[in-house]
Amino acid sequence: MNLATNLYHAGAEVFLLTMVCVILIADLFVAGRGKMFTYMMVQLTLLGCSFITVATHTDGVAIVFSNMYVDDLMSDVLKLLAYLAVSMMLVYSRTYLLTRGLFSGEFMSLALFALLGMMVMISASHFLTLYLGLELLSLSLYAMVALQRDSAVATEAAMKYFILGALASGLLLYGMSMIYGATGSLEIYKISDAIEQGVYNKQLLVFGLVFVVSGLAFKLGAVPFHMWVPDVYHGAPTPMTLLIGSAPKLAAFAFVMRILVEALQPLAIQWSSMLAIMAILSIAIGNLSAIAQTNIKRMFAYSTIAHMGYLLLGVLSGTIEGYSSAMFYAVTYVLMTLGGFGMIMLMSREGFEADNLSDYKGLNQRSPWLAFMMLLLMFSMAGVPPTVGFYAKFSVLQAVVQTGHFALAIIAVLFSLVGAFFYLRVVKLMYFDTPESHEPIQYQADTSLLITFNGLGVLFLGILPGTLMSICAVSVQQSLLLH
Amino acid sequence: MSMQSTYLMVPAAPLIGAIAAGLFGKVLGRVWSHRITILMVAVAFGLSVSIFNDVMAGHTFNGSVYTWMTTGDTRFEVGFLIDRLTVMMMLVVTFVSLMVHIYTIGYMQEDPGYQRFFSYISLFTFSMLMLVMSNNFMQLFFGWEAVGLVSYLLIGFWFTRPTAIYANLKAFLVNRVGDFGFLLGIGLVLMVFGTLDYASVFAAAGQHAADMAPIPGISANLITAICILLFIGAMGKSAQFPLHVWLPDSMEGPTPISALIHAATMVTAGIFMVARMSPLYEMSEAALSFVMVIGAITALFMGFLGIVQHDIKRVVAYSTLSQLGYMTVALGASAYSVAVFHLMTHAFFKALLFLAAGSVIIGMHHDQDMRNMGGLKKYMPITWITSLIGSLALIGTPFFSGFYSKDSIIEAVGLSHLPVAGVVHVAVLIGVFVTAFYSFRMYFLVFHGEERFGKAHDDHHAHDAHGHDDHAAHADAHDAHDGDHDDEEVSHDHHHGLAPGQKPHESPWVVTLPLVLLAIPSVAIGFIAIEPMLFGHYFTDAIFISEHHEALHEMHEEFHGAVAMGLHAFTSLPFWLALAGVLTSWFFYMKRPDIPEAIKQRFSCIHNMLEEKYFFDRFNDWFFASGARGASRFLWRFGDVRLIDGLVVNGSAWLVGRVSGVVRHVQSGYIYHYAFAMITGVFVLLTIRNWFE
Amino acid sequence: MNVESLVFYVFAALMIFAGLRVITARNPVHSAMFLVLAFCSASGIWMLLEAEFLSITLVLVYVGAVMVLFLFVVMMLDINLDQLREGFWRWFPFGAALALVMVGEMVYVLGNRKTAATEGLVRHAADYSNIKELGRLIYTDYVYPFEIAAVVLLVAMVAAIALTLRRRIGVKSQNPGKQVLVKKADRLRIVPVAAEKSGSDRAA
Repeated sequence: MNLATNLYHAGAEVFLLTMVCVILIADLFVAGRGKMFTYMMVQLTLLGCSFITVATHTDGVAIVFSNMYVDDLMSDVLKLLAYLAVSMMLVYSRTYLLTRGLFSGEFMSLALFALLGMMVMISASHFLTLYLGLELLSLSLYAMVALQRDSAVATEAAMKYFILGALASGLLLYGMSMIYGATGSLEIYKISDAIEQGVYNKQLLVFGLVFVVSGLAFKLGAVPFHMWVPDVYHGAPTPMTLLIGSAPKLAAFAFVMRILVEALQPLAIQWSSMLAIMAILSIAIGNLSAIAQTNIKRMFAYSTIAHMGYLLLGVLSGTIEGYSSAMFYAVTYVLMTLGGFGMIMLMSREGFEADNLSDYKGLNQRSPWLAFMMLLLMFSMAGVPPTVGFYAKFSVLQAVVQTGHFALAIIAVLFSLVGAFFYLRVVKLMYFDTPESHEPIQYQADTSLLITFNGLGVLFLGILPGTLMSICAVSVQQSLLLH
Repeated sequence: MSMQSTYLMVPAAPLIGAIAAGLFGKVLGRVWSHRITILMVAVAFGLSVSIFNDVMAGHTFNGSVYTWMTTGDTRFEVGFLIDRLTVMMMLVVTFVSLMVHIYTIGYMQEDPGYQRFFSYISLFTFSMLMLVMSNNFMQLFFGWEAVGLVSYLLIGFWFTRPTAIYANLKAFLVNRVGDFGFLLGIGLVLMVFGTLDYASVFAAAGQHAADMAPIPGISANLITAICILLFIGAMGKSAQFPLHVWLPDSMEGPTPISALIHAATMVTAGIFMVARMSPLYEMSEAALSFVMVIGAITALFMGFLGIVQHDIKRVVAYSTLSQLGYMTVALGASAYSVAVFHLMTHAFFKALLFLAAGSVIIGMHHDQDMRNMGGLKKYMPITWITSLIGSLALIGTPFFSGFYSKDSIIEAVGLSHLPVAGVVHVAVLIGVFVTAFYSFRMYFLVFHGEERFGKAHDDHHAHDAHGHDDHAAHADAHDAHDGDHDDEEVSHDHHHGLAPGQKPHESPWVVTLPLVLLAIPSVAIGFIAIEPMLFGHYFTDAIFISEHHEALHEMHEEFHGAVAMGLHAFTSLPFWLALAGVLTSWFFYMKRPDIPEAIKQRFSCIHNMLEEKYFFDRFNDWFFASGARGASRFLWRFGDVRLIDGLVVNGSAWLVGRVSGVVRHVQSGYIYHYAFAMITGVFVLLTIRNWFE
Repeated sequence: MNVESLVFYVFAALMIFAGLRVITARNPVHSAMFLVLAFCSASGIWMLLEAEFLSITLVLVYVGAVMVLFLFVVMMLDINLDQLREGFWRWFPFGAALALVMVGEMVYVLGNRKTAATEGLVRHAADYSNIKELGRLIYTDYVYPFEIAAVVLLVAMVAAIALTLRRRIGVKSQNPGKQVLVKKADRLRIVPVAAEKSGSDRAA
């Protein structure tokens, strides 16, 4: 493979990196105009990236950069969704950050760096690139959480995130080194080849697997590696929470797929039992703890933990349907999270954070449309038909049932009923309680348009999930085709 | 444009119209709302015509457009089956819908919910098209429920009237009963055949003909069960006895929808469905007999009720019930094509009659009581002549469209070999007399005789006079002084009517034009279409008739062309029965109005029974409504409050609350706790992994 | 057991000891110094693996630069570690127990005979250059991760600046450029003062 081919496949990454550097410098000279110029440049960069990703899409799986980089349909789809998520995050958070003086060039360039990290992870076919992408993403996120320097809560959250993240990285690296020792390679395809040909040390491999799974679980926020999630979600400024909660989950999904499925598929029996424990614990603890929360960001944090449990359910079933339903779940989860946190930022104004559940009392009287959008999002998170959340849960459970894990499915359904309680409580607050404040909700046209797009998207995808589902199925199938 | 996108455009166009008028009605305003929706329905009609030509050239289509979801091996798809049956229904639906759209401009002129109404009827058109174009049971069910929903919305269109709310609730609940059967039927289809696709189900119907229900102790044929369950759905939608009770009350809705939904299209969905399922029904004589008996009961007994009604719309409604009964009878006689043929002719002439009744109602300023009418012929000539045509078609006057279809039904029943056919034949023959009698009773009471309007309303509100003076005639200039009407029109809960001395007048052209356009097929369509539809090969591919049911075949042998059939009618029994009906009603209501009064006195118990509609509503109210209320009160007090709320909900909520309180404490906020938890996690995983080895 | 193994075990034991002391030492400066020891031991192990370049870089960068900086910070801030580690000993038994069990499990897995049997290290000729090999790989096969690593450093830089650079308002500071350019007239104002009146009045 020559350089041109390599760069062709990694075109979006190259473009993004170039543009971040340009933006970093350009931002210094255009300061003080509401950062509109930088903002537009960032959005255009994202647009350019999507264009490049679409334009450089090739059928089949291309592995370039000395087997370090893989370009397949799954990576393209996930990347496009990651662009969308970051772009939506910026739209939602612009006003919010402007009123708090945080809308800086650093914020935007760090967001783009985080995106670059995700892209590297999504396209990695080598443990080294997986790890580097993960670090690039994590480092950017740590810094972003800490950006609000004057807030003790944010600093504390950043600290916790950083230290625990470092610990998880250590676990992950340790596991990777064990796998290297067992198979003699860090390349995903070579590892799977080695395992298939029996040229490996099983004891060591499974030992490494435990640590790798632990590291992955931290990134996803699965129990018992979830403790950072509520504190960081709560403490970080809402836009950063939105960023942490949304697009990186796509990358984490890709991470899981690349390591567990593409590299270590023959060990499925081992890892699926581990995932099963974590999935059930996540679903149980996530849903139960969410009930006791009064802060909506914290509530979303626990709901994320539960959602990741459902996602793991899809993965652990170990079938193509299971993987594609997990991918579908990841995509819908990102869409719902964007809407949920977007709503918090929409409701907030200067000097006021709408992050308490009581702030949503009587929203229907203050703004029926916003309340309706929130209703759709809550229904979707709870898994009420005809929203997409229902379909996502349904397909995951279906995959689990098909592989005979009835007990898992039953427990998952029971706890999703528990989960429905706190989502519907938000709906109850919005529609049946009297508002505590009659302050008009101020929002920009673009954010209200986006929340409409977001809410109706949740509904639309729920009614017509076929296209997205088949995209997920095809991309998963294609990625596994090599084996 | 490829044919497939044309198919897609047909339902899509009214949907676009519905969305435009529904969501952006305020922005578009009244005029643009009706322009857009009418244009869209016209597009749908035009495309249907082109599809008709295409299908006549032999291009049928059966394929899926979109896969909604796949669970296991079952695929839920959106797909179209375009054959001759479908395309005929598409033509009828879009044509009548177009007429009704135009008519609505005049009828709803001063209603504040103008845009909403257009949105609903366009939405209805979309749903109905989805229903008839479907190639699988799931989409059929979707369309089925969607038309039911729109029907519900439209019956309760004037939602400030308590009667309208009552009526739409009733329609909704009664249809639930039918839909429950329908859904069970679909479920059974899925169970037996493992697919919901029409073509695969029909192809496999023969193999499953002898399947028995897998329930020990019950020997029921599965196909029969499927057919009867599906037919229960049809009974709800097509208002067959005993689920007919909602249709007369549905007249609370505006007249255009009575014409479109409750006469021409939606209520015929059940008929269409059974015709579509002919390969299934042909497998089961029991189901066919059931269908035929239900149809006969409806055809005859609902006709009787039409005799005692005073509300002009209710007379037409009961006549609709009775005609639906005729169609059902034809289905039972395996004469599916005859049923569908009658469905088509009926769609035209019954829409015509409804719209004419609406025109009369406009002329009478929203007074619907026939006792206040009379002699309108002079004032409303176009309405008069079109009504006369509609009535003649309805009673089966030779050469009119209704004649061909209805006579064919009677003949098919006569030739049917089902054990119940003999009784049913007598019933439908009596029905002919009854139909003629009540139709012309209405005709004479409305258009001939003494002018009774403007008299009985001395107590009427004085302000009606100024507000309603010639409102329909001045329809075009109406927007200018809109305000002073709105408050009255919102609440239609009292009868309007003509003030003393006021005269009725002909309706504006937007009302009469559809009447004239509908009158043409009411006269001619039967003559043109009978040969290809009944005896030609029009339905060969779409409808399946088993060799044992050859009524239609025998009819074919006796058929010597439409003209001959018309001439032959003068020597046949139905014609003389109809004539007798007309003459009797003329004698009773024109010559000796005292006779009906005397009969009413003499046979007051029968009259009372008819007035009370055989006590069905009373019974339903007492047994189902009160009974259900009682049962639910018990369940609420005991089951819900004590058991579920007390033990299950509050108990589990209490438990969950306690657990979550405990779990919350684990989240201490200390990093080393978190790190400790993580390491413990690794340890647990490692231990488990060691066990697994 | 040959000499090489002996050296390895010595370094390994040193490293574990140093690591333990890093977290148990009461004085933060001691902790930092033990960390230096740990790095040095690691560098020794790398040397055994014939990775001279990495070994030396570890000493140069971590011991020479990072740890010195770290020591500066520790000394300047005067951290009271005891306060920070309040509760450490309370939780120590739990942690130690868990750690012991973990170590036990790891020994069980890794000490297994099947596990231990890996191929020996490939020996290189005397003229083999570790630096050259690294350089070649980094700029050929590993150019992609190398670039990403560079981006990680860039992010670290951006983050560090964004987190620490404060544009404080109302802080007085000197501007040397302006100071140099200052003219006499900017600083010195000569006020004409009338000469003192003659003493004749006073004399009076």
